[in-house]
Amino acid sequence: MTQNKKRNEKIMNIISLILVVLMAAGAMLPIWWIFRSSLMTNAELYAWPPKFFPSRWLFSNYVETLKSYPFSLYLANTAKIIIPAVLGGTVTATLAGYAFSRLRFKGKKLLFTLCVGSMLLPNMVTLIPLYLMWTRILHLGGTFLPLILPYFCGGGAFNIFLIRQFISTIPRELDEAATIDGASYMQILIKILVPAIRPAMIVVAMFLFITLWNDLLQQTIYIDDPNKYTIAIGLSMFRGGLKADWAKIMCATCMAFTPGVIIYLIGQRYFVEGIVMTGMKN
Amino acid sequence: MAKSAGRSKRSDRRKKEQLVAYLCMAPSIVGLIFLTYIPLLVVFIISFFSWKGISEPHFNGIKNYIRLFTVDAYFVDSIKVTIIFTLLSVLGSMVYSLIVAMLLNRKIPARGFFRAVFYLPYVLPAAAVYIGWSWLYETNFGLFNYILKSFGINNVMFLSDSTMVLPSLALIAVWLSGNLIVIFLAGLQNVPAVYHEAAQIDGANGWQRFVNITVPSMSPIIFYNLLMSLITNMQVVTPALSLTSGGPGNSTTFITYLMYRYAFKDNQIGYACAISFVFFIIIAIFTSIVFATSGTWVFYEEGDKK
Repeated sequence: MTQNKKRNEKIMNIISLILVVLMAAGAMLPIWWIFRSSLMTNAELYAWPPKFFPSRWLFSNYVETLKSYPFSLYLANTAKIIIPAVLGGTVTATLAGYAFSRLRFKGKKLLFTLCVGSMLLPNMVTLIPLYLMWTRILHLGGTFLPLILPYFCGGGAFNIFLIRQFISTIPRELDEAATIDGASYMQILIKILVPAIRPAMIVVAMFLFITLWNDLLQQTIYIDDPNKYTIAIGLSMFRGGLKADWAKIMCATCMAFTPGVIIYLIGQRYFVEGIVMTGMKN
Repeated sequence: MAKSAGRSKRSDRRKKEQLVAYLCMAPSIVGLIFLTYIPLLVVFIISFFSWKGISEPHFNGIKNYIRLFTVDAYFVDSIKVTIIFTLLSVLGSMVYSLIVAMLLNRKIPARGFFRAVFYLPYVLPAAAVYIGWSWLYETNFGLFNYILKSFGINNVMFLSDSTMVLPSLALIAVWLSGNLIVIFLAGLQNVPAVYHEAAQIDGANGWQRFVNITVPSMSPIIFYNLLMSLITNMQVVTPALSLTSGGPGNSTTFITYLMYRYAFKDNQIGYACAISFVFFIIIAIFTSIVFATSGTWVFYEEGDKK
């Protein structure tokens, strides 16, 4: 009986493994196909039957593409937005998360409710008034500031809660001991809490990175100078201009993939942990 | 004397604590006031004006709203398009990610590697993903039509046929849902194994165990994923911006894209604000439906309930 069950269990695990391998192959196929297409001639792309591997790996396609697709400019522009925004968002979310989890102050409940409410309020809804504010009132249209400055205002309720949850798992005794030793509130935050919640801060930074990275709409409305194009806008424009030169379009697409993949590989461990935390605790 | 000195010291400390708290909260308070709640109010106010952007705005009551629901065929269509896309992609991603998570939860080798594989699409920039996939969907030489061709099926116009384009885009959204998998997986690992063992002894089969044990104990996580997936997918705009420009016809003119077009292409700012506000109401309705029904199917472990 138990032996039978054990065998069943084993068979199920093998079937699961086969299914996982098949599904993983399916999930990777689009990426492989895009990459393999970037290394082929257009003639080879249109040939039947299609080849799974390029007959010659034409890395020269990338050199050709770069002549009309200034990727390094787009990358630099994107970095100019993302780096300050990620830093600002992470720092201000940490400050707010600290106040919510450790400090007592008047209006805490109200602020907390407002924060929760803002989570359910889609960004899309406030797009137009914010655009009017940045361009008509503050005259910052055409600069990167409308894309950066909002991140210096708390970095989003979701991230604030993430930090708050994390800080509340750290024993208060640590704070109290430091207080007796004469540490100020800011010293407690910087010297005791920040080192302890570093993984959570990295996760917040990565969430901010992905949000910014994906936000084609806001980039489109605030940027119209080709010299200020981000990777997302640059790629959309590049495709619009080429229509059928698929090898080059795929080169540009693969280049746009790389920064995300690199950052993911570096921070993968924290990233997965962080997502798990958000799912479990909210 | 000593006592009152102690008290004033303590109240000093209290005051300092408040001051530090307000300083820490200051950026977020600015954000909540000026980037969230005032703009929401402003959207609502502008929606009652006719404003072409350059000229002076003038009040025209609820005319924008009347136009939305009676004259503007685009708008009603855009609601339909958005809801169809949302249903397809939310259902698709929930089912796909739950299945993958359950498979990954079994004893299989290289689990971390596979988890990374399924997660990878999520970190790619959305615009690049849609453009990359547009090549896979290409009518004559794309990967999907190659696959269909080898089964003897004729070319499908995935992106240029108005009945195919929403399912095709939803499939991309499903592919992008790696974050749901990771959250589901974490939830599954928290389901106590004793429950399953007990049910197995009672003779419950796999499906019965899934329905009676896995789903109820996972319900808070299913709820969370459902809510996040719903809010994300309803705000869909990137495929229209980077790829389809709302077409073919108006088959991918999502509410957000219509709003963008009115506000930034046609300069009908008052009217676009009316769309924003209705969109706000629609999302609020959908999220409250999810919240309202959650009482009947979301179960919290005892002591876990807040």
